[in-house]
Amino acid sequence: MSKMLAVIKREYLQAVRKKMFIFMTLFFPVLMAALFIVPSLMVAKGLGGKKVAVIDGTGALRDSFAHHIEPAAPDPKKALSGGNRGQLPQSLDVEYADAHGQSDLVKTSKPYLDRLYLDKKSENGLDAVLVIPSNAFEGSDARMIFYSRSSTDLFTQERLASVANRSIQRQRLTGRGIDPNVVDTLTREVPFDSVQLSRSGQQKKGSEANFIIGFIFAALLIIPSFIYGLETMRGIVQEKSERIVEVLISSMSPRQLLTGKILGVAAVGLTQVTVWLSLIAAVGAFGAASALMAGFDISQFLRPIVFVYFALFFILGYLTFVCIYAIAGAACNTDKEAQQLVAPIQMVMMLPWFIMFAIITNPDSPLSVALSLAPVYGPITMFVRTLVSEPPVWHILLSIAVSIATIAVFFYVTAKIFRVGILSYGKRPTIPELWRWTKVA
Amino acid sequence: MSVVLSVRDVVKTFGPVRAVDGISFTVQRGTITGLLGRNGAGKTTTIRMITGVFFPDAGSIEWLGSERDARDRIGYLPEERGLYRQMKVKEHLLFLAEIKGCRGSSVAPSAERWLKRFELWDKRDAKVEELSKGNQQKVQLIGTLLHDPDLIILDEPQSGLDPVNMLLVRDLLRELKEEGRTILLSTHMMAEAERMADDIILIHKGKIVLSGGLDEVRNSFGRNTLQIDYEGDGAFLEQLPQVKRAMIVNNGAELSLIDGADPQQILEATMGRLRIRRFELAAPSLEEIFIEQVGAETMESIR
Repeated sequence: MSKMLAVIKREYLQAVRKKMFIFMTLFFPVLMAALFIVPSLMVAKGLGGKKVAVIDGTGALRDSFAHHIEPAAPDPKKALSGGNRGQLPQSLDVEYADAHGQSDLVKTSKPYLDRLYLDKKSENGLDAVLVIPSNAFEGSDARMIFYSRSSTDLFTQERLASVANRSIQRQRLTGRGIDPNVVDTLTREVPFDSVQLSRSGQQKKGSEANFIIGFIFAALLIIPSFIYGLETMRGIVQEKSERIVEVLISSMSPRQLLTGKILGVAAVGLTQVTVWLSLIAAVGAFGAASALMAGFDISQFLRPIVFVYFALFFILGYLTFVCIYAIAGAACNTDKEAQQLVAPIQMVMMLPWFIMFAIITNPDSPLSVALSLAPVYGPITMFVRTLVSEPPVWHILLSIAVSIATIAVFFYVTAKIFRVGILSYGKRPTIPELWRWTKVA
Repeated sequence: MSVVLSVRDVVKTFGPVRAVDGISFTVQRGTITGLLGRNGAGKTTTIRMITGVFFPDAGSIEWLGSERDARDRIGYLPEERGLYRQMKVKEHLLFLAEIKGCRGSSVAPSAERWLKRFELWDKRDAKVEELSKGNQQKVQLIGTLLHDPDLIILDEPQSGLDPVNMLLVRDLLRELKEEGRTILLSTHMMAEAERMADDIILIHKGKIVLSGGLDEVRNSFGRNTLQIDYEGDGAFLEQLPQVKRAMIVNNGAELSLIDGADPQQILEATMGRLRIRRFELAAPSLEEIFIEQVGAETMESIR
C-alpha cells in the first residue's frame, strides 16, 4: 500500500508541476470561452460592418437606403438569444445610385462591380452590390441581383434583400394611395423569443447561447482527457524505454504500479476540475462579469447541478480514456508506435465530439440517448444532455453505472496487458496478440 | 556460511529461444558472487527472474533467512539506466526507497550521506537528465542501497564509469561485503570479476558451464598457464609449438600450454629474443578460463 502511495505521489507531483498542467488549469477555460464567445461578440458588435452599393433601377427607393443602415437588432443580447435569426447587428454602409431611366443596368453597375475587386480597406472598396431592376414594382418576373466576393456572406445578403423587399412593398402600397404611416403599421413585423420548456418547469431562453456553452463544456470535458491520456501513455513508454519499469516491477506488482499510476493521474484530473469549478464559482460570485460581457445571464442556461455532473462525468470519461492510453503505452516501445496504435482508436473515441452539433440540438433523440448510455461515449454525451436538456434520472444513473463498469473492465484488461507488455521489448503487438496477453498473464 | 538465495532448475523461454535453460545455484551470505557470461548468455534474464520481473517457466527461486518480502530484500541496479529524467536527484532517491516500503523521511539522512560520499550533494536538486552518465549511474547505485537490502544485485555496475568512479564502486562493494551484505555481480569484464568475486557462475547459452569458488575453479584448470613480462617483440610466442593459445599485450603475454608441455622449452625459445622480467607458471586467469570454456567455439566460428 505504501508502495502504491509512493507511485501516486510521484505521478501527481510530476504532473502538476508541468507547465502544461498549469496552462490547462488556469488558461484553458478562458481560452475555450474566448474561442467560442469572441467570434460571436465580434459579429454581435458589428465589427464586420459592410460597404455595399445599391443600383436602383426604379429610382424610388432612395429613402429606404439611407446612407447608413443601423443594426436591425442593436442589442447583442437579443441577437444572441436568437429571437431574430439572421439579423445579427451588422451595420451596412450603403452607397445609393439612382439608375432610373438608364436603359442598360449592366453597364451602369459595371464600375461598382469593379470596385468589388479593390482592397477591402481602400476607400472605394465594396463588399457587395445589389442591383434592383427598373420593373421591380410591376414586373412579375423582376429579379434583384446580389453580387459579392464571398458567396457565404449570407447576413448581408439577407439584410439587403429584406430591406429592399420591405421598401418595394411599401412603394407598391403607397402607390395605391395608402397612407405611408398606415403601411408601416400594417406591415410591422413582430419579433419572437425562443423559450425552451424543461421538466422542472424552469424556462430557458436562447438556443444559440446553449450551443456555445455546450461546446465549451464538451471541450473542457474531452480535451484534458486526451491530453492527460497521451501524457500517461508517454510516461509508460518512457518507463519502458528507459528501463525504469524494471526497477519498479522488481519492487511491486504490475497491478500495484498500474493502480498507483491511474489513481495519481485521476488525482491530477480532480485537481484540475476543482480549480476550474472554483474559478467558475469565483467568476459567478464576481457578478458574472463574463456573462455581462457576452450580453446574457449565465444562470439562465446553467443550473448548479450541472457542475456536479461536470465533475462526475469528467472523472468517469477521464479514467476511461486514461485506461485506453495506458494499454497503448504498455503495448508499445516508442511514442511513435504508440501514437500509431491509438490514432484509429482516438478517432473512434472522438465520435461524440464530431456529432456534438446533433447531440446539442437533439439531446433526447434516440442517437443521443444511445450514445449517452454506451460505454466510452457515455460520460461526454450524458453530460451534454444534462447541460442542454433534462434527461430522466434513470438515464443518468444507468450512464454512470455503465461508465464505472467500463472502467473496471478496462482496468482489469489494462493490468493484464501491462503485466506482459511492459517488459516486452519486441515489435509492436497486433490487436489479436494483445488479446492473447490478457489471457496468459 | 548460510544461503541467502537458492535458484533451482529455472527455465525461461522467449518464443523459440531458451534464454535460461535449467540453471541452479546458491548465493552465500556475505559473499560476492560473480555471474559471468557473454552478452546474451542469459545473465540478465536470470537476474530478472530473481528480482521478480519475470516468472520462471519452470524451477524455483527460494529466499532464505528472513521474513521480509523478497522484493524488498533486493537492491537492484539494472544494466541500463532506469531513472526518471525529469525528477530531481534527491527526490528520486527517496522515491526509490519508498517503493521498497521505506518511509522517505527515514532514509533521507542516509541519502544525504551517500550523496556526499559520491560528490553529488550539491546536485541534489538537479534533474536527473542534467547529470552526466557516470553521475546518473552513481545515483542509481545509491538508489539500490538506501532501503538496506540483504542482497544487492548489480548488472554491469561499471558500465559508463570512468576509472576513478570504477575504483569508487570497487571500494564500495568491498565495504558492503565487509558489512555482511551479499552481492550478486553480473559482468562480462572478467578482470573485474577476478578482483572482486568469491564465487563465480559462468553462464553460456542459458546453461551454467562452470561454477564454484574462484580459486577452486582456477586451480582446477591446473598450472598450465605461463605469464611472462618482457621487453621486445613477443609476437612469435604465439607460434611456438607448445602454446595452445596466447593473449599478447604490450610487453606481456599469457600463454596457455598444450598438455604435457615443458615451460622450460619456452623459456629457452625466448633467449636472445626477449628480455625477460617475469616468468611465472600459474593457474589460468578467469579471462583465459572464460575463453577456454565458451570462447573457443565462437572464435572458430568467427575465423
